[in-house]
Amino acid sequence: MRRKKLNLPLLLVIVFFCVYPFFSNFYWIDVAFFFGVYALLGLSLNIVLGETGLFDLGHAAFYAIGAYVTAILNTSFGIPVIWLLPVSALAAGLFAYIVTSPIIHLRGDYLCVVTIGIGEIVRLALINNPFKLTGGPNGITGIMRPSFGLFAIDTSIRFYFYVWGILAIFIICLIRLQRSRIGRAWNYLREDEIAAEMSGVDVRRFKLLAFVLGAALAGVAGNIYASKLMIVSPDTFTFLESSLLFCIVMLGGLGSIPGSVLGAGIITIFPEIFRVVANYRMLFFGGALVITMIFRPGGIWPRKREVIALQADEASDVKEDIKALKIIDPMPTSNVATNEDTSIFERHILVTDKLTMAFGGLVAVKDLDLVVGHGKITSIIGPNGAGKTTVFNVVTGIYKPVSGKVYFEGKDITGLKPHQITSLGIARTFQNIRLFPNLTCIENVMAGLHYKMKSYVVSSILRTDSQKTEEKWAFDTARYWLMKVGLGNVGNELAKNLPYGKQKMLELARALSSMPRLLILDEPSSGLNDRETEDLMIFLENILDELDISILLIEHDMNLVMGISHWVVAMDMGMKIAEGKPSDIYNHPRVIEAYLGREE
Amino acid sequence: MTILLEQLLNGLTIGSFYALIALGYSMVYGVMKLINFAHGDLFALGSYMGYTLLVWSAGAISQRFGLWGGMAAALLFSFFAVGCVGVLMERIAYRPVQKSGRLPLVVSALGASIFIENLIMAIWGPRYQAYPASVVPVHTISLGFFHITVMQLFILILSFVLMLILYFIVQKTTFGAAIRATALDREMATILGIDVGKITLFIFFLGPALGGMAGVMNGMYYRQISFVMGWNYGLKAFTATILGGIGNIPAAMLGGLLLGLIEMLGAAYISSAWKDVFTFLILIIILIFRPTGLIGEKIAEKV
Repeated sequence: MRRKKLNLPLLLVIVFFCVYPFFSNFYWIDVAFFFGVYALLGLSLNIVLGETGLFDLGHAAFYAIGAYVTAILNTSFGIPVIWLLPVSALAAGLFAYIVTSPIIHLRGDYLCVVTIGIGEIVRLALINNPFKLTGGPNGITGIMRPSFGLFAIDTSIRFYFYVWGILAIFIICLIRLQRSRIGRAWNYLREDEIAAEMSGVDVRRFKLLAFVLGAALAGVAGNIYASKLMIVSPDTFTFLESSLLFCIVMLGGLGSIPGSVLGAGIITIFPEIFRVVANYRMLFFGGALVITMIFRPGGIWPRKREVIALQADEASDVKEDIKALKIIDPMPTSNVATNEDTSIFERHILVTDKLTMAFGGLVAVKDLDLVVGHGKITSIIGPNGAGKTTVFNVVTGIYKPVSGKVYFEGKDITGLKPHQITSLGIARTFQNIRLFPNLTCIENVMAGLHYKMKSYVVSSILRTDSQKTEEKWAFDTARYWLMKVGLGNVGNELAKNLPYGKQKMLELARALSSMPRLLILDEPSSGLNDRETEDLMIFLENILDELDISILLIEHDMNLVMGISHWVVAMDMGMKIAEGKPSDIYNHPRVIEAYLGREE
Repeated sequence: MTILLEQLLNGLTIGSFYALIALGYSMVYGVMKLINFAHGDLFALGSYMGYTLLVWSAGAISQRFGLWGGMAAALLFSFFAVGCVGVLMERIAYRPVQKSGRLPLVVSALGASIFIENLIMAIWGPRYQAYPASVVPVHTISLGFFHITVMQLFILILSFVLMLILYFIVQKTTFGAAIRATALDREMATILGIDVGKITLFIFFLGPALGGMAGVMNGMYYRQISFVMGWNYGLKAFTATILGGIGNIPAAMLGGLLLGLIEMLGAAYISSAWKDVFTFLILIIILIFRPTGLIGEKIAEKV
């Protein structure tokens, strides 16, 4: 799957870093040390901002926690600084968990302000010296140097190798995380939070994870910084510092690991180069930021999606490969109805009971009783504004209904979160396509498999056997579904580069990959021409035969509705106005009235 | 009681500064979805511009036209000068970056902020400057049991008038409707024939201009100015904008005043050292319960 060939440029860079200190003077070795610290910090913010897209402008707070925990525990209790490395990480991570839990749901700019606030609160708290712990504005001095037994790290060269050694380990861990289920989940979040949640990603959990890991890494940087300088003070951890970290990630390229390292290098080296114009360095720096954003807004080393070698690039192999691949479902699900009134639920996979949804004073759906039969295609039709998409949004958990209930396979799923509903066996597509535009097609489809996989942080970093097996399974299954919808040869293409019709099929593939027993499609044929719509009809009928699946769809295209539906429900003004077999609905006077108006 | 009233007055005064700066933030954010981090530094720039004018040739203007004449000149000069700088900044730092998305704009804004702050330092030096006593009125008026300085009164009245004018423009005129339309849906606004370029010009002139005036008033009130004053006020004003609800101009004014009050009451009754912590904590708590601000923005995401 991933071919390992000797990466000559990388090797040269590593050699350079190893021999650099022996050709340099103390001043520049120290600069390189700080390069390393900022690289750690940049990478730590990259997890939060770059991979997950969370607008964090207060990251220096976690850096500060790491530094101060080290300072306090070392100077007060004499605990060796080396032992405090994991302690700092833990403290910063725990702090992040506690403060971001209540605010993790906030949208972009609001989250930004709250993170700025957290940064300021930490800095001010450090200055104000609560409980006489933090040493006030002058900080804490006398922090010891790290040592491995008798081998102390107390020269510039030793610190250089110390920080770059730790950095190298973390870079490897981060690369592995990036290429795992976790990294993909973060990217899904960043690209489209609602689609991610709907695909089965527990959005809240992964956002918190990003913050905790990012904070922990910043805490490590804080420890290293404290042990080198032997002093910590609040004015290191200002909003300007957080902004610098932000700029590091942006300059390098969002979500790019080499980019963040490069960005750190620029931020550290830049003031040194401009030392000749000492007082005006920041002037140039500010100008340089603006100029970089004008000409390279994507960053200097933007993230390249991983190209997964797909063997079946030729169309001729496609048919054989579909048969050859088996879909192995690692989590077989049961269809047992658990409600007492099993007769309704045996015949119907989805039942809504007097479902009502309102937005403020506007009632969008009123007392809707909807049933979807097992293994059948049910269509909802109605003029725009009838409330059809709202019904979908309530059923899939995006909104909580004002009153009424939704039952899926006999279980009450009202009010569950979207990712929970997906894991129970429902998948959907959206009226305005919601793909992950900057991810490849295969990565898009793999989103549907996320909830079926189990590997988490440790197994992803260590690349355990079970994780590797799981990844291969996911990749194979995603490839199967891509081929099934006819996109087998564009697996590595970015989703945003596909033409509209193919994007619709990609979204369908993503929905199907989660092995739903109920597929909910919102206007699947909108934007498709007649030929494409016919293909879609054939496709839907085929999967109905092949899989244990029921389909519920919203449609305006009457050919499609009449052509493949077993049952049609007509809505107008939030209420059901008619239901029955397609032929009955087609001539129903109330339906005609809703679409065309009454003859006066 | 007296103390409470005086604290309220202080809170309203500082809140007026926050409100005037917050207006600029809100207008820009509404139309461009950009958090203009440079805005606080424009406030500082205004302060320095007013200072320069008043101190130039030893306060010639104040000597010629009297105290109030001098102040009016400083305010007007700042208004126009900072307004022009604002427009220039938009042309250079924001317009070319806008097509690249929101995050590059933030970095560009941070860069512009750093640039302007250091420009001030380069021109006027890193040490504090002070508005000389001779150009600023210092009498106090006694209203029975409490005192209010002439300066405070002036600031409150002027700020209130400015906010009222802006409120009127934005809410009651056709041009204001065009601004609000552009803020809600820029693309649609251009299709409907709204000249978005003109609106951008207006916003990037008026927002910074008001901030510049606030800078002069701040300089006259506190007398001491330094090149770092921008970012603190900018941060607070940004907080105020969020407090009210981004993109909502009247809400920004309210947010600013409220923030000033919260801060002063916090300083008076809790502790001066912890007042900023208190303010930010209040903000975080409000956002937890009202995630789109106190008054809130009126945007619904179509799913």
